Amino acid sequence: MRLPKRRPIKNPYAEAEQFRRRAVVGFLGIALALAGLGFGYFRLQVLQHDEYATRSEANRIKPRPLVPARGLIYDRNGNLLADNISAYRLEIVPEQVNDLATTLVELRKLVALSDDDIDNFNSTRKATRGFWPVVLKLKLSESELATLAVNRYRFPGVEVVPYLTRRYPYGEQFAHVVGYVGRLDAADLKALSDSSFAALSHTGKSGIERFYEAQLRGVVGYEEVEKNVEGRARGVLRRHPATPGADLQLSIDVNLQRAAVAAFGEHDGAAVAVDPRTGEVLALVSLPSFDPNLFINGISHADYRALTENLSRPLFNRNLQGGTPPGSTVKPFVALAGLESGVRRPEDRIFSSGEFHIPGVRRGFRDAEAGGVGWVDMRDAIALSVNTYFYQLALDLGIDRFDQYLGRYGFGRRSGIDLIGENIGILPSPAWKRERYKQQWYLGETVNSGIGQGYWKVTSLQLAAAVSSIAAGGIRHPLHLARATRSGFNTAWRPLPLPPSESLGASAEHLQVIREGMEAVVSRGTARSIGFNAPYLIAGKTGTAQTISRKGNISVDPRSLPISQRHQALFIGYAPANDPQIAVAVVVEHGGFGASTAAPIARAIMDAWLLKKLPGGAPVPESGGKPAAPPIQDLPDDVPATEDASPQSDTPAQDESAKTEPAPPDQQQVPRP
Amino acid sequence: MNELVRWLRALSVEAFDTLDVPLTLALALVMAISLAVLSSAGGEGSHVMLSQGARFVAGLVAMVLISRVPPTRLRSWTPIVFAATVLLLPLVFAVGSGRSARLWINLGLFYLQPGELLKLTVPMMVAWYLHNAVLPPNWRTLAVCALIIGFPVALIILQPDLGTGMLVAASGAFTVFLAGIAWWRIGLFAGLGLGSLPVAWHFLMPYQKDRILTFINPESDPLGTGWNIIQSKIAIGSGGLFGKGWGQGSQAHLDFLPEHTTDFAFSVLSEEWGWIGVLVVLSLYVFIIGRSLWIASNAREGYSRLLAGALAMTFSVYVLVNGGMVAGLLPVVGVPMPLISYGGTSAVSLLAGFGVIMSVQAHRKFMA
Repeated sequence: MRLPKRRPIKNPYAEAEQFRRRAVVGFLGIALALAGLGFGYFRLQVLQHDEYATRSEANRIKPRPLVPARGLIYDRNGNLLADNISAYRLEIVPEQVNDLATTLVELRKLVALSDDDIDNFNSTRKATRGFWPVVLKLKLSESELATLAVNRYRFPGVEVVPYLTRRYPYGEQFAHVVGYVGRLDAADLKALSDSSFAALSHTGKSGIERFYEAQLRGVVGYEEVEKNVEGRARGVLRRHPATPGADLQLSIDVNLQRAAVAAFGEHDGAAVAVDPRTGEVLALVSLPSFDPNLFINGISHADYRALTENLSRPLFNRNLQGGTPPGSTVKPFVALAGLESGVRRPEDRIFSSGEFHIPGVRRGFRDAEAGGVGWVDMRDAIALSVNTYFYQLALDLGIDRFDQYLGRYGFGRRSGIDLIGENIGILPSPAWKRERYKQQWYLGETVNSGIGQGYWKVTSLQLAAAVSSIAAGGIRHPLHLARATRSGFNTAWRPLPLPPSESLGASAEHLQVIREGMEAVVSRGTARSIGFNAPYLIAGKTGTAQTISRKGNISVDPRSLPISQRHQALFIGYAPANDPQIAVAVVVEHGGFGASTAAPIARAIMDAWLLKKLPGGAPVPESGGKPAAPPIQDLPDDVPATEDASPQSDTPAQDESAKTEPAPPDQQQVPRP
Repeated sequence: MNELVRWLRALSVEAFDTLDVPLTLALALVMAISLAVLSSAGGEGSHVMLSQGARFVAGLVAMVLISRVPPTRLRSWTPIVFAATVLLLPLVFAVGSGRSARLWINLGLFYLQPGELLKLTVPMMVAWYLHNAVLPPNWRTLAVCALIIGFPVALIILQPDLGTGMLVAASGAFTVFLAGIAWWRIGLFAGLGLGSLPVAWHFLMPYQKDRILTFINPESDPLGTGWNIIQSKIAIGSGGLFGKGWGQGSQAHLDFLPEHTTDFAFSVLSEEWGWIGVLVVLSLYVFIIGRSLWIASNAREGYSRLLAGALAMTFSVYVLVNGGMVAGLLPVVGVPMPLISYGGTSAVSLLAGFGVIMSVQAHRKFMA
């Protein structure tokens, strides 16, 4: 038999005794440590006193930071996209100011200081040590400089300092490519050492300026300045020069960018032009845009409100952050998946009756052409954008294989571009849906995915990367903007290493079929309006994506709608089809059919690149759905799937007002058996 | 008239009868030294000295008031006070502001640093828990203590404020130490702590790594912390045995010495008052700590004993860390020299802590 474990009993006397012993040990430890500290001071103050006394006598040297010039940014032809210009800023060394509040009040009488300036100053001041200068205002005006020069003596600790500020000569054109620099804020302190933080005034906040911040910034240097007893500078003893930031050359072409912007006319949207042989981005347009120069030295409240309250969201980088269902532009890739997986041969024919049914299900999916187009093979199906063909193909592939192949072609992952914040879009999959909606996958969604509708989201960058990999014969080059760098004017440009390319793993014959299908799109298919008068061969694919139905009121101004409710006209393509030198993806918001607005913009970009037709010089084909040549009736394209029983289904598909949204998934769902 | 004088005298005796005279005198001496140093370091027409004086007054009022609260009552409030201060911590993430970390809550009138309050409430809570537990503590008791200390410390280090986090952890650890934790367990914890240092390195903020690296090699950051330490050592070393004299410190007055009213105030003292000055101040500190531990040892009851002892020992950490830092013996951690550096919350919370110790002394006779 075991006795229960003895329960310990609290013993106040033993505890008090224990405490006393510990207190003595603790006190002895502390006394010993403090004695050690006292000895440390004894060594410094008595044993090494002579040495430090001498150093104190000679201590007239203070370091002063030397600010590196920020690297410049050029386009591929040497046009300056980001420049440095000299300016003056107002700084305060808080520790040297007796009464900061009064000083600020007095300064406000001389210099235009907004509440923002004061707030920014105060938050940065709290974030740094008191002996570092803190910027109060950047870019002083001439008259402010003059006033300050006269009144300087009244403000100890307040300095007017020359510095280099940024300028973006092309303004709006490259706001979404080059980005902009802005004032340092408290958050930047974490990324920078104390001394760089004190010396620098700006860091890259977006675009190339942000992505290549480390290279563009350079390294802060310092000089040792000798001061006299009153603390005034007498001369520089030694310099540790700053290392200027590296210059960058982008693959962008200023002229092509301008032509692309001009081609959009009044439309909002995005366009990407790529050299398919390298993945170099030649033009990157997101419209509307904004003037990045506004942000450099602090944007005013009014300007900022105007930008954020604009429904077209000029600050939104459509290429990076946007996302739209690809619509029919995904069809060439679905077709390639069909060939690669062995589910289809190019000559296999499908009958398009105008309506498609999943076997055994009454509800149907609509074809674009009422009554259908009859028997079509793969090339025809691409050229005429026949929905039925791709409904059946997606069904035969099954969603898992569908995702496996389309993922390989670059959907649902990054294009690899050297900008921060790229959206990867959505490649619809059962796993994604389970994660997002906690719902199972339906066969009807597989069918809908086959024509780029439903949950799909792609960015213009993904489309450009995908179409350029078809143009490049199945090689996928990650998109990139920076192509060369140099460390100064007197050094040669050093090409930046190309990011590694990957293969789509598609056979040459299969790719050829897809390319022929895409050529047929322009020669006799949905985009023939841009093809018939082109002096070079174009391959392409149109598409239309509509997320929200706007029944019967197409006259609505797209700019009155938030981006998420605008429908999108798309075109992807490359040219010359027999020797691709440029691949293009164009997304036009509220642009009607892909063929009528997006395709002519793509054509204008191709003309500008291949024929050097530039705005201001040779005429560029008009945009906005009115081709310069006698109009050819566009084939109705990409009418999204609708269930057969829907009341809208009997309105003619050609009528844009009748374009209907894909019915919400819950109406179409055909549960998997 | 005489009546009034007598009444006032009686009132003042009544009001201050809970104060421990030797401890109060020593504290007053340190504060007087602080004001003298700051009036020199702050420069002409500076408000630093006045402002520090105002804080001392606020702290002394808090000290007198707290010293009148019997420890038993403090003990019964402890869980609520602890919970309230811990709940303040997440607030700084939402509304906080501060240098490279969110440490402060703006209360309009002044900035409150919740981490500072926990230096008081964490040892309170640990002492509260231990006063009912069987001592020396076993593993289960230790685990609960680790939780009480670890949770707020983790939150503070996340702010990120390594210095305050370490001080709060130390205050809790000292409570456990005084409760009589077995020596072999101390050894085990010390070993574990040392072993986890390389892991902890990965979790430090870049600026904290910078500070440790510049401590190892001050020349690596000639514009930043390294330069400060060199200047501080020059200030201390050039002070010599007797110092350069009040107001004569060239390092401080020519602006070579950074932050000479706050973190580096002790360097100014060393420069102007020499090693003798250092010795006087360190002796005062030793006396304050010794007297506090003495008071703790004579307490009749576990809670007040542990709390008073832990507060006294934590006080020594300030002195060692700041004194070591400005002399280049330890890395730069933002810890003020107690009652000497310019700074509000720290002075008030330290004096409040001494209020607790004095309350223990004043109420030692009436307790169970």
